[in-house]
Amino acid sequence: MVVRCTLSAVGLLSTLYGPTCLYAWLTVPGLLKRRWLDVLEDLLADLDRGMQHSMPAGGAAVTYSKPRLANFWYYARVELVPPAPAEIPKAIEGATNIIKGFQTGRLGQTTVKDALRNGLVATEVLMWFYIGECIGKGGIVGYNV
Amino acid sequence: MVPPVAVSPLIKTARYSALIAGIIYGKRRYDHLKPIAAEERRIEEEEKKVREEQERIAKQLAEDSILK
Repeated sequence: MVVRCTLSAVGLLSTLYGPTCLYAWLTVPGLLKRRWLDVLEDLLADLDRGMQHSMPAGGAAVTYSKPRLANFWYYARVELVPPAPAEIPKAIEGATNIIKGFQTGRLGQTTVKDALRNGLVATEVLMWFYIGECIGKGGIVGYNV
Repeated sequence: MVPPVAVSPLIKTARYSALIAGIIYGKRRYDHLKPIAAEERRIEEEEKKVREEQERIAKQLAEDSILK
């Protein structure tokens, strides 16, 4: 019973909760804006649902994933779009702001909370490089030469 | 539901340029490693042939001396 619970929890967290708001997880601003109680509640609701019945299969998967897909697109259309060409100068401006802040010493005044948050966002941005590498090499683990 | 957050343009450009840089890097590394792996496979094949030839000769010699 315990093993079944843990297995279903692990499987569910990667499949049920994933499509629900995958990028609200991965996109740090989306996750941090939510109340942690709501996040916990969603996780427990998924666990509960999973323990009642096993994974959906076949046609049921389509009806199952439709609302989750809609939810995913609801967030992705705003948070995951590539930058419009007009936004690129703003991005360069933001980068120069950071460099200036570093030079004036203003960056020394950031709070720990802000520093952690920025570190997390920077890590997420860097991880996209590895996703690109996986796409470029045509595989997830290792190079299939 | 929480409304989606407006992501800053700096983060957006950084993400997508990192993605494109990763794709380019992955493709170039793969193209660099592929001929090296093919060469290693070829050398392995040749050495295997030579080894099997020597084993065959050794076996022949062993059979000849024991049985006769």
